[in-house]
Amino acid sequence: MFLALRDLAFAKGRFALMATVILLVAFLMVLLSGLSSGLIERNVSGIKLMKATHIAFELDNIPSYTNSFVDKEMWEAWAKVPGVSAMTPTGITAFNARNSNGTALTVALMGVVPGSFMEPNVLAGATFASDPRGVIISDELIEKGVKVGDVIRLDRVLTELKVIGTAAHANIGHVPIAYAPLPLWQEATYGPPGGPPPGDELPKVLFDYASVIALQVSDPAQLKKADDEIGTVTLSREESFNAAPAYREEVLTVFLIQGFMIFVSAMVVGAFFAVWTIQRTPEIGLVKALGASTGYLMRDALAQALVVLTSAIAVGGVIGYMLGRYIDTTGVSFKLESAAVGLNIGLLLVAGLIGAALSIRRIGSVDPIIALGAER
Amino acid sequence: MSAAIGLAAEHVTLVLGDGDQQITALNDVSLQITKGECVAVVGPSGSGKSSLLAVCGGLRAPTKGRIRIGETDLTALKDSQRTGVRRSKIGFVFQQSNLVPSLSALDQLMLIAHVNGSPTKADENRAMKLLDSVGLAARARRRPGQLSGGECQRVGIARALMNRPDVLLVDEPTSMLDHNRGTDIVKLLATQTKEHGVATLMVTHDASMLSWADRVLRMEDGRVLPASSPMATAAQ
Ligand SMILES: Nc1ncnc2c1ncn2[C@@H]1O[C@H](COP(=O)(O)OP(=O)(O)O)[C@@H](O)[C@H]1O
Ligand SMILES: [Mg+2]
Repeated sequence: MFLALRDLAFAKGRFALMATVILLVAFLMVLLSGLSSGLIERNVSGIKLMKATHIAFELDNIPSYTNSFVDKEMWEAWAKVPGVSAMTPTGITAFNARNSNGTALTVALMGVVPGSFMEPNVLAGATFASDPRGVIISDELIEKGVKVGDVIRLDRVLTELKVIGTAAHANIGHVPIAYAPLPLWQEATYGPPGGPPPGDELPKVLFDYASVIALQVSDPAQLKKADDEIGTVTLSREESFNAAPAYREEVLTVFLIQGFMIFVSAMVVGAFFAVWTIQRTPEIGLVKALGASTGYLMRDALAQALVVLTSAIAVGGVIGYMLGRYIDTTGVSFKLESAAVGLNIGLLLVAGLIGAALSIRRIGSVDPIIALGAER
Repeated sequence: MSAAIGLAAEHVTLVLGDGDQQITALNDVSLQITKGECVAVVGPSGSGKSSLLAVCGGLRAPTKGRIRIGETDLTALKDSQRTGVRRSKIGFVFQQSNLVPSLSALDQLMLIAHVNGSPTKADENRAMKLLDSVGLAARARRRPGQLSGGECQRVGIARALMNRPDVLLVDEPTSMLDHNRGTDIVKLLATQTKEHGVATLMVTHDASMLSWADRVLRMEDGRVLPASSPMATAAQ
């Protein structure tokens, strides 16, 4: 790195220009990573909070929380699968609704069996034990003005839900969750509008259906076999993010933006080092004539690229991180996850190095004869 | 003559260009230079002087013939091995000095040490001593842009000696300098040749520099002409 560092110091103006571009890209990458993690968090925070290790969906090419439909036979079969320590049917339906004061809301009604591992932790208010027609709502609905004691009325089906408690921020498909006892969810989802006719009961069969089966699995060995026998698709909790509405599309969009930025920076770095290498052709020829091998010069140049890229990315990353920490406090859906940030920054560095390496290759074709002067 | 041979060319022919554009830049050239001897090469433009340096320095492989540097047959080596010989046994002094713009005078010499491995304190001492011997100890920290043409050329000479070469190949060292500075440089080359016991092959345009050489070779059309200078005759 002897020559690399001195060339770097000597031509700092030119390197600064390129480094600034990379710095800005690194900065944007951190913010973008924070935004995408925030976006994803808002989409699937409710899934992340589930105490299930796996979720069994109705057999489908693209499993979906909101389209899945499972019956009692299935969940009873799942209860007997070896390696499954607990299971509970769970329902998910999105509803438009109105609060007692007339505010329009969208809620993801999640029907959970009271007392099962799917029952949410209550932060304030009461649990299902106190009221079989009560719901426990995500903190986000509290932020939207709903209070414990309010009654939320679902549009069309007209089911009334009494808010009895609050739970942590929990979304699915960006919609805040209202946890209801499973029978109440089944009534709202499958029952006739307005509930049973006065004096009548809802048909029993209604209560044999749910959306998915939440599982606590201690040994996943039998899952595949059980899926085939029962007619379900079982995903781990993390895999099941893909089954949340719009999750795939969001991740793909963010992935494309990040990929594009990484690609563009690799091009910028490649173009810079192409021009730089051409400009220093006389120097390369000279040093080769003095006995430096192509390998020595390539290592030197690559080390130079590494120094420039690492410092630019580090500075840009740190600035982005600090700004991100601030944004984190403002309530915008933003989340700095060190793994995601680290991965993006790492990819940026690797892509930059590849861009540089491709350009630096031309060191190999410089003929040391040029050191002997202008007459060829 | 019992002195060791530093550089020898044996029936070297170099054909350049391809197809019907071929030019015989060197035509059956033979020469021997002993260690401590300074040989000047003169000749009209296009007579093959630079080609001779290129072949002797392993920058071009001759079409025919052999080059020996000390005990090493340069022509028997692969490209990478020839680079290695340049690194360890050959010193180049180029026209217009050819220094790396970003390096201080001292670093120009230290670069040679770096290319040859991991430099030690001894290498740095040697570099300083060499700079001192060309009168530039006080300017060791200056970059080429902060040195005059003559000073740059002296750094170039010091650099060429850094790897303790067997052979010094010098291409028109004075072409960018005025007469007095040019004389200084050639004098310096002559004394360093003796001091370090290297075989020096110096191409020059400037007839007034020839008196500093032990021997003068004349080239024409890629051939070395039979010895004609009184000094050359005397040497044989
Ligand atoms: N790369 C090359 N390709 C073809 N011909 C060349 C090349 N380099 C030099 N020559 C020719 O070889 C001959 C000798 O050139 P050169 O060694 O540079 O002479 P000098 O240094 O004495 O001026 C000239 O005719 C020149 O035109
Ligand atoms: Mg020439």
